[in-house]
Amino acid sequence: MERRRAAAAGASSPVRSRFVAAALVIAFGSSRALAEDAKATDAQILGPDDAALRIESMTTRITGYNQYGFGYQSKAGPILGPGSERLSVFEPQVEVVATQGDRITHRVWVPIDVVTAASPHSFEPTPDVVSGASRKLEGGTFQWSTTYKADRASQVALTSGLHIENPFRSWNAGLSGSRALADQNTVVSGSVVGILDWFDRFFITGVRNGRAERSTTMASVGVTQVLTPTTIVHVNYGLTLQEGELGNTWNVVPLANGERGAELLPSSRTRHALVGRMSQFLPWNGALRLYYRFYTDDWGIEAHSVEGQIMQRLTPALYLGALYRFHTQTGPFFFYTLAPVDAPLRVADSDLAPLQSHTLGGKLVGDVPVRGLARLLHFEVEYDRYFRSNDLQMDVVSCALGLRF
Amino acid sequence: MRALIAILLAASASGCAAVPQNRRARLADPMMSVTDEPLDAYRRQKLYDTREGAAGGDGTAAGGGCGCQ
Repeated sequence: MERRRAAAAGASSPVRSRFVAAALVIAFGSSRALAEDAKATDAQILGPDDAALRIESMTTRITGYNQYGFGYQSKAGPILGPGSERLSVFEPQVEVVATQGDRITHRVWVPIDVVTAASPHSFEPTPDVVSGASRKLEGGTFQWSTTYKADRASQVALTSGLHIENPFRSWNAGLSGSRALADQNTVVSGSVVGILDWFDRFFITGVRNGRAERSTTMASVGVTQVLTPTTIVHVNYGLTLQEGELGNTWNVVPLANGERGAELLPSSRTRHALVGRMSQFLPWNGALRLYYRFYTDDWGIEAHSVEGQIMQRLTPALYLGALYRFHTQTGPFFFYTLAPVDAPLRVADSDLAPLQSHTLGGKLVGDVPVRGLARLLHFEVEYDRYFRSNDLQMDVVSCALGLRF
Repeated sequence: MRALIAILLAASASGCAAVPQNRRARLADPMMSVTDEPLDAYRRQKLYDTREGAAGGDGTAAGGGCGCQ
C-alpha cells in the first residue's frame, strides 16, 4: 500500500510535467499550423474528394400519345390516298443523376417507346417477320452523359447512347462544353454530336430489301445571358448535316398513272436552325417564357415556330403552366400528293408538306419537401393537344414523378 | 426576326452591366428555366421531330428513332 502511494506520488510529478510538455507541443504546433493555414489546400482541410457515387435525383415519366389523321404516305387507305395515320404510343422514361466527387456528374437516361401504327398494318401480302413485328414496335434508348467541372466557370461533357428498335439500330456520341463569363452573367456553350443509324430497307410491299444507313453530324453554339434580375435570354445556332438513306423506305407516293411508288429522296441534307428563348419573372409570382425558331434547309423547307408559356405559382411548392405553340413550314421542292411517274425526286409524307400546326397545353408542377430518404418529391401532370392544317390531331398525356436527394 | 435581332442586341449590350449573384434569386425559380425539364423536353421535342419535317438543327437529335425524318 505504502509502495503504491509512493509510486502514485512519484508518478504524479512526471505525469504533470508530461501534460505541460504536451500542451506546449500542441500550442507550438497550433501556432505553426495557424501560420501555415494560408497554404492549406481544400483537400487538407476537408479531406480527400469522395469518389463514391451519390445519387442526386431519380425521375420517371410516362407519356401516352393518341394520334388520328390522314396522310398520302400511308398505305392504310385508297391507292391514291390519303391513308390513315392512326397511331398510339406509350413512352416510359427513367433518368438517374449522380455525382462522383465535386467535379463529376453522371446522367443515365432510358426512354422506351411502344408504338402501334396503322400504316405498317396495311402491308399486303403479309410481310416478313421483321416488318411484321414493326406493326407493334418496341424501341428503347440507353443514353449516358458524364460532365466534368474543370473549375467554377468551365465544364465539359461526353455523351454516348444506343437506340434499338426492331428494324433499326442507332449509335450516338457527342462532346459539349460551356464557359461562364462576367461573374456567371454570360454562359457560352457549344456541342458536336455524331449519330449513325443502321436499319432494314423495305420495298413498299413490306418485304425486306437489305440494309440502309444514315449518318448525322450536328454542331451548335449558344449564349445564355442574364439581362436583369428578372430576365434571362438564350440564343442558339445549330447546323445539321445528314448523309445516306433519309427516308424510312416504306412510305409511298401516289403516282399519276394510278399506282403507288416509293419515295425518292436526296441522299444528303443540310439544316440550319436559329433559336431564341427568353424567361421573364412576373411581379405576381409568375413567369413568362417565349421561344422563337427559324429553320431552313437545302431541300427548300423554311419554317418559323413561336411558343409562349405562362406560369403562375400557387404555393411555394406548386405552380400551374399554360402553353401555346404555332409552327408554319413550307414543303420541299419535290413534294407531291400526285407525283409525275418520271419525277427524279418525290415525296408525299404529310410531315414534309406545307403546313401549320398548333399546340395547346397545360401542366401542374410540384416540388414538395419530404422527410426521410429524399429532400423533395417532384411531380408533373400535363396535357397537350396538337393539331395540324393537313388533317392530323394528337392528344398527349404525360405524368412525371421524381425524388431529389 | 426583328424581335430576335433586338433580343440579341439587348443581350450583347447588357453584357457589361453584370447582375450580382445576390440579385438573381428570381432566376433560380424552376418556372424561370429557359428550357423544360429534360424528360419533358425530350417527349415534346420528339413529338415535333416526328410530325414536322423542319425538325432538328438546333442542338437536338435529328437522325435517331423515327425513319420519317
